[in-house]
Formats: sequence, structure tokens, C-alpha cells
Amino acid sequence: MSGILTKLKDKLQSYRVPGYRTKFEYKWTMVVDLDRCNGCEACVVACYAENNLPVVGKRDCDISRRFSWIRIERYIEGEYPDVKVKFIPIMCQHCDAAPCELGCPVYATYHNQDGLNVQVYNRCVGTFTCATYCTYDVRRFNWFTYKWDSPLEQQLNPDVTVREMGVMEKCTFCIQRIRVAKDTAKDEGRKVTDGDVQTACMQSCPTDAITFGDLNDPNSKVSKLAKSPRRYRLLEELNTDPSVIYLKRVMDEKKGHGSSHG
Amino acid sequence: MKRRYFLKFIGAGGIGTGLGMLFGQAIKPPGAKLIPYLIPPEDVIPGLANYYASLCTQCPAGCGVLVKIMDGRAKKVEGNPLHPVSGGKLCVRGQAGLQALYNPDRVQGPMRRKGARGSTSFEPISWEEAIGEVTTRLNDLSAKGESDKLYFLTPELGGHLGKLADDFMAGYGSSNTIKYDLFDYRNLRYANRASMGIKAIPHYDIENTKYLLSFGADFASTWLSPVGMSRGYGEMRQGGHTGRGKFVQVEPRLSLTAANADEWVPAKPGTEAVLALAIAKEIVDSGHYKGSDLKTWKKLLSPFGLSYASEVTDVDKKRIRHIAKEFMSTRPSLAVGGEGISGYSNGVSGLVAVNILNHVAGNLGIKGGVQANSNDLFGGNDADTVGAGIQTLINAAKESKVGLLFHYNNNPAFTTPGSAKAADALKNVPFIVSFSSFLDETTALSDIILPSHTSFEDWGDDFTNPAPGFQVATIMQPVVSSVYKTRSLGDIFIGIGKAVGGTAKAKMPNDTFATHLKASWKRLYAKDKGMSASSFTFETFWRETLARGGWWNEKSAKKRKLSVSTRSVARHVSKEPAKFEGESSKYPLYLLPYAQAGHLDGRGANIPWLQELPDPITSVVWDSWVEINPKTAKRLGVKMGDMAEIESPFGKVLSPVYVYEGIRPDTVAIPIGQVHKLYGRYAEKRGANPLEILPSTVDTRTEVYALNSTRVRIAKVSRPGDLVKMDVYTDELGRGIVQTVPTGGQFKKSSHH
Repeated sequence: MSGILTKLKDKLQSYRVPGYRTKFEYKWTMVVDLDRCNGCEACVVACYAENNLPVVGKRDCDISRRFSWIRIERYIEGEYPDVKVKFIPIMCQHCDAAPCELGCPVYATYHNQDGLNVQVYNRCVGTFTCATYCTYDVRRFNWFTYKWDSPLEQQLNPDVTVREMGVMEKCTFCIQRIRVAKDTAKDEGRKVTDGDVQTACMQSCPTDAITFGDLNDPNSKVSKLAKSPRRYRLLEELNTDPSVIYLKRVMDEKKGHGSSHG
Repeated sequence: MKRRYFLKFIGAGGIGTGLGMLFGQAIKPPGAKLIPYLIPPEDVIPGLANYYASLCTQCPAGCGVLVKIMDGRAKKVEGNPLHPVSGGKLCVRGQAGLQALYNPDRVQGPMRRKGARGSTSFEPISWEEAIGEVTTRLNDLSAKGESDKLYFLTPELGGHLGKLADDFMAGYGSSNTIKYDLFDYRNLRYANRASMGIKAIPHYDIENTKYLLSFGADFASTWLSPVGMSRGYGEMRQGGHTGRGKFVQVEPRLSLTAANADEWVPAKPGTEAVLALAIAKEIVDSGHYKGSDLKTWKKLLSPFGLSYASEVTDVDKKRIRHIAKEFMSTRPSLAVGGEGISGYSNGVSGLVAVNILNHVAGNLGIKGGVQANSNDLFGGNDADTVGAGIQTLINAAKESKVGLLFHYNNNPAFTTPGSAKAADALKNVPFIVSFSSFLDETTALSDIILPSHTSFEDWGDDFTNPAPGFQVATIMQPVVSSVYKTRSLGDIFIGIGKAVGGTAKAKMPNDTFATHLKASWKRLYAKDKGMSASSFTFETFWRETLARGGWWNEKSAKKRKLSVSTRSVARHVSKEPAKFEGESSKYPLYLLPYAQAGHLDGRGANIPWLQELPDPITSVVWDSWVEINPKTAKRLGVKMGDMAEIESPFGKVLSPVYVYEGIRPDTVAIPIGQVHKLYGRYAEKRGANPLEILPSTVDTRTEVYALNSTRVRIAKVSRPGDLVKMDVYTDELGRGIVQTVPTGGQFKKSSHH
């Protein structure tokens, strides 16, 4: 009996050790090239359409209730005329050492077998702990059961749950698309290959800034991009071990036209 | 193998339509839903999606899309990965098109005006009544011998729908088709024809260029073909096949596109053309230009010396020289001119100046430069470059020369400058027929509404303009049954044409637009060798073309020489900067109204996704604002979010203030698209419309309104503002969120900046 318990304990603990993912079949990873991203926000609308995100209106936007699972943060530096504007798309980073998972009292948010940080809506009781713990401010709470003005609800994606009041939600790396790809691959007796899964944001991105795939596959596009010397991860010093890798933007910062004459 | 993701493209639009009919709003007797699955439609498995290839009509770019259909409903719009322009990608407006289809505020069926004009009081009527009424009006007009008093006001109708409408107008006996869109690139077409002799908009090859010099072309959000150009931009930066290209943007306001540039050159508003010609002069004088007509170029460009240009444009001499040096020595380089140079009183001249610059640098007709597109378009429509414009219609209406107006989709009561008084002029028209699907400001003035389908419910096609160097025709097919009792615009024309009789009837050989489209393509198939060689029979060709989303052949790209001669452009070159209304002593600030990514000319304002999409630069939602430089704001005593009154010699509007470092201190900017008086629950009564306070200045060569043509003054208003911004900080606070590497050493290992 105690043997089983130890085994169980070891297994549970392995979930909390960064790097355990090597044991699993897939390690879903996103690479965002900030030198390609032009801040157009096509990804944001794609996410709204794919994931049934409600529109909350001006007043609720004002009190931070906007539902975007992916947002473009924009930073403005310098003074006229030496102004630099920088963009970065931020979505759930699917951290391998996710602070949110530690906080949830009912295990509504946990790490699944593919290294995804997932949210079980049925378990969530809305304590808001995960959103408080989250380093990246990507969790969104359903303060109400939102309504779509008829017939706008006809657009809702049947592959994704429409959430109700009291539930926390966030970017899922389009898990419904991953499921379809895995099912198809299973039916065909193979592994999911590179390019089988496209997240909605990646699919729409006109500049091809977003790439998604399996880091365990050494030949996948993300594996190659992840080796770029421009790579970094968001607030990496906090040791959350994110699954999203950013590639640095190429720009000369805080350098006016005076010095760019070279 | 990437494309395997799209399980299959289903060609026959009929299947989707058939299923849609069973599920849609139009027919739903109880129990009807059960019957179809006794004999399930082929290719349809409940819960599994089908993808239909079609065409996006949210802007004139003509991107090919795939629409995801499940159980007869449109669920998502994605780019068609096979399509040469969209390449599987799509912009914000394209994706939000679904919320136009399922918009709760659409006109749900034909209606006749009940109350006074503009009162929005309409009563529903049947389609037969509606067509009958229009026919009566048409017959009354032609009986009086006044057929030419029929005007048709429309945006550019691509492909065979445009031809059908032309046939109808010609058959009825009117030559008055007026094409108008607030952003319809007439200046660009005119300038290209005048300087290079080409009718079709050329392909600006951003992807392969190594130095992009953009004069106010906001291609990341709205200009020309945002998806195609953004794809090119991504490749130019990190495609790896040419090395990272440099990008310089010239414009008074740092737009979304300029935010991505390596250098921003905030030239004084209205002087961009002078700057372009000064750069051209530097290039010619340096000996880079080797043409036999060197002398005439030197003479033509002689007034644009560095001292003059620097003084007028407010750009440092050294900087102009530096740009010129980089522009000619980096091969290939490319200059493009967008709204920021064509939106002035001398817009055509500005675009001609950009063409001159490309010519003397040697960028015409080369890879990574400007490539000509074919004019033939498979024998389809060619864009009308210099036809009558909106001002002609407004003048005719004022003089009561318009007896009957057909109006479709471009909402001039909103999208024309306030002082053009388009709405007042339209009130002079005895009878207005609207084909719009939304009750906007112009449709509200109509006497009868015959609402047309959205692009998801209709057949159609478009000869993409600008094409990517070879001809592209994209086909639109109905992917769902109509949500409301709307009809295909083509069917409406055929219905009216047949009812009117005479030549108009003779010009309508087919009973429906669907059969008309197919028959027209059959003729193209017989004519075009590439098409007829692709498959044995027309039926196979048609099926394959529908499944693919259209017809294009990369191999059909022909290299064509392009050049600009001094003789053709001399009359368009002027030393004077653009003119602005309002004395600078009374109105010290230039006003720049600009197209915002989500709303374009205001058409996106009724879409909740786009209203709640933060503006990429200001992060404001559900509103518009006026951008003011911090120095100017301090002088005026206004802070972020304060309400301000913006007054031009033509009127005033109220708007919240957005203090922005990326705008010249002598300039303010307001996005276009908000404060609709009508246009549905999401669009109405929010923000400010800068068009209301514009003069009706046009470039006389093209009748295009100069958006940047007035000065304004600004005063603080004590009313509290209600600007809602989604950003918290504009500064990273040292957190290293967006990390960078310097341009010189992008492949060197670099630590946190």
C-alpha cells in the first residue's frame, strides 16, 4: 500500500518539477517573432471568433473586464521626434512552473499531459486566486453570463464551450484544434506532425510573427526558431518557465535621427 | 503539407446553401430540421466543419478567404492558403465580416418609406412590390425621355457584378454610374496612368525590397492591400532570403505602420511631395541616374534644392541627403505613397513625385520594386480611373438633374466632408432606391430599400487590383443561406432589367446572377488559353475553380518595362506645398483625419468586435479621440482624457484628448469612422467625426476629397471626458518586456538591452 502511495506522491511531484515534460509526447510551444509583428491585432479578432469571447461594452472595458485572451501591449518611448513604439502580443504563457496552478484550491487549473496549462470550467468556483497569482495578467473572469444580441450567437464556435458567470478563463493554445489534430493523427496511426495544428492567432497573423508546434520534435519550425540568438522569455527571471518564446525585435533604441546618419 | 490542415475544400456552393436553407432563419417549420438527416447530404457530418473558399469584401483589396461552416452557419473566416494575396492570412476587418452577416441591425427585407425623409420610419413590403415600384419609377423616367437622369452611386463593384450593373445602366440608357469610396485610390490610379501609362494598380514588391521608403502609406492597417503587404513586410524583415530590409516612413503622425519603421521622418504636413522630389534631385545630381534624358530631369528637378526642401519640409538637410544616399545605393529599394501624400489638395502631384523617385532610383519594373500588373484581367472589368466622381453627383443633385438615384453601400452622407453637403443634395433627388443592407445615414434618406446580400450569402467575383504581379480572379460563393429576406444585388438588377423591358431586358440574358456568373466564366474559359488548358471541360474547371477560390496563374506574370518621362509628368510637378484652409494665425494646427484599422471609412463601426478592439496605437475602445503632442497639450492646458473642442473654419466637433509623442507639435489627428447618427446600436452616437469639419476641397483632376486640407484650433471644454484606454502604462518601467537587439548585430548574441 505504502509503495503505491509513494509512487503516487512521486508522480504528483513530477508535475511540479520544471523539465518533467520530456516524458510526454508533445510539448506545445509558441514562438513570437517581435521583428515580424507589426501590431495589427488580427490575432485578437481571430481569438474572439474562435473562442467565443464575449463583447462587454465600453463601461466594462473601463473597469478591466475586457475579455481578450490575447492582447497587443504597446510601449511608447522617447520624446518627439525621437519616438519609438514597440508591440508585443501577450497571451497565456503556459508556464511549466505556473503560479496559477499552485493557488487553485479546487484544481480547476492544472498541467495536462502535453505541457499545457489548462482550465477546467466545471471545477472552477471563481475564487480569483489564479488571476491574482498570474504573472502575465492573462486570466479573465466571467463576472456575468454574457449575452450575444441575436442573431450574433449563430456565429458561436460549437467546438468551444460558452462560459457562464463565475468561471475563470484564459488562452488555451486553441486546445480544440490540438484535439482534432491528435484525433486525426491517431486515426491515421501516426504522430501529430508539424503544421497540423495552427492556433487561431497564428493562422490569421499576416506577417507570420506567430509559430506554433511541438518542441519535442527537433525538426519542427518552433524547435528551429527556439534556437535563435534573439530568443527570450517574458519576465524569465521569475522562473515561471513559460512555453512562449519571444524573438527580440531588431531596432536601435533611443537613438534619434541625429545619430542614425552614420 | 501545411495545407492538409484544411481537411478539404468543398467546391459546390450548392451544398452549403442547401443545408443552410434547412437550418437558416428563412425556412423553419417545426420538425424540418429532422428530415434532412434521413437522407443526409453528402459531405456533411454533423459537428464537423466544411470550409468553402470565397472572397472578402470588407475592403477593396480582394483577399481570398475560407469560411468555416458548421451545421449551416458561418463560424469563422480565415484566409485562403492557396490565394496569392491573402495566403491564408486575414486582417481584423476581414475576420469581423461575420458580425456584419449576423448583425442584429441589418435591414431584414424590402421596405418603403412611411414618414418624412430621414425619419427612419419604414414599412416592410414584398420583393414583388419593391421591384414593381422601382420599375414604375424607371418607366416614368424613360417615358419622359429622361433616362439619363438615372444615377447609380456605388463603390467599385469588382468583376462581373460591375459589368452586369454597367450593362443594365447602358441598356436603360444612362451613362451616370458614379463610383465612390472614401478610400478608393483614384488619385493613385490617375497618377500612375499619367506618369507610367498603366491603368491597373502595380504590384509594390515590399517582400523583396531592401529599403522601403513610405510616404504616409499605412499598409499595416488600411492602405491598398493590408494583408498582402503585411505578408510582404514580415518577409522583408525576417524572411531571410534577402537580409533584413530597412524601412523609413515619412508622415506627420506616427501611424501603426510608422511604429514599425526603423526611422520616422515627421515632415511638415503637405510638403511630402517636395521632400520626395528633393530626394530625387539628390539622386539625379549624384550621377546615379544614367538615362539619356538626364538633362531634362535635372532641369525639371532644379527647383527642389536641399535648402528650399529643408526649409519647407522641416527635415534636416543632412537627413534628406542621407535618405537619398541610402535609397539609391541599397538595391533594390522601393518608394510607396499612401493617404499621407495623396490626401492633400495636390494629392496626384505627390504620387507622381513618388513615381519620379522610383524612376530615377531605378526601381521600376524590377523585383523588389514596382511591377506592372496586366490591364486585361481576363477580359473582365478594368478599373475606371478618371470617370465622374462624387462631386459630379452632388452638383447634379443640387441642380435637380438627378431624377432617380440607385445607391449601394458607400454611405456618402457620412463619408463626405461636411461642407460638401451631400445629404442636403440628396434630399433634392425625387426618388432614391437603396440596395444597402444597413440603415446608415444615406439609406435613411432613401424612399425604398431593396436590401442586398452580404458577401457570405451571394455570388460574385473580383479581379484583384492590385494583383501580385500576375492576374488574380477570386470567386465569391454563397456559403450560408440568407439570414434575412435580402437578395443578391445581381439578381435585383436582373429582376429590374427584365421588368423594365426593352434594351435593359435584352442585356439580361440569364435569369439569376448565379447562372450569369457561370456563363460569363464559361466565356472567359473559352477565351483564356491558361484556363482552357487546365482542365478538359468547363464543368470540371468550374468545380475546381470554386474549390480553389478562384483562378490565378503565377507563371502568367509578364515582365513589363516601366518608366516615367519628364514630358508626361512636367505638368504635375509643382514647387508649392499643399494648401490648407484657415489662416494660420487663427487656426494654428494642421488637422489630419486618418483611417483607423478597425473602421476604415466608418463601415466597421457597427461591428462589436471592432468597437471593442483597442486601437493599436492609443488602445482606446468604443470611441474616437484627438491626438495632440504633449508640448501643444501643455500650451493648451489639456491633459489626457480631457474634452476639447476642435474648430475649423467649417465647423466644430467635440472629442476627448489623447496626448501622444508621435505627432508633430503643429498637427493634430482624429481617426475616421465614429459618431454615426444611424448605423445600428453599436455604431451610433459615440466619438467625433472629423469629416464634419472638413472643406470640400478636391484634387480637381480626380474629384477626390483632400482629407488633409484644413487647419484647426483647439480649446478645452469643461465637460468631463470618458475616454476608455486599455493600456495601463506606456512605459515598460524597466521590466524588459519588449526586448531588442540593435540593427547592426541582429545575429550576434545579445543580452537584455
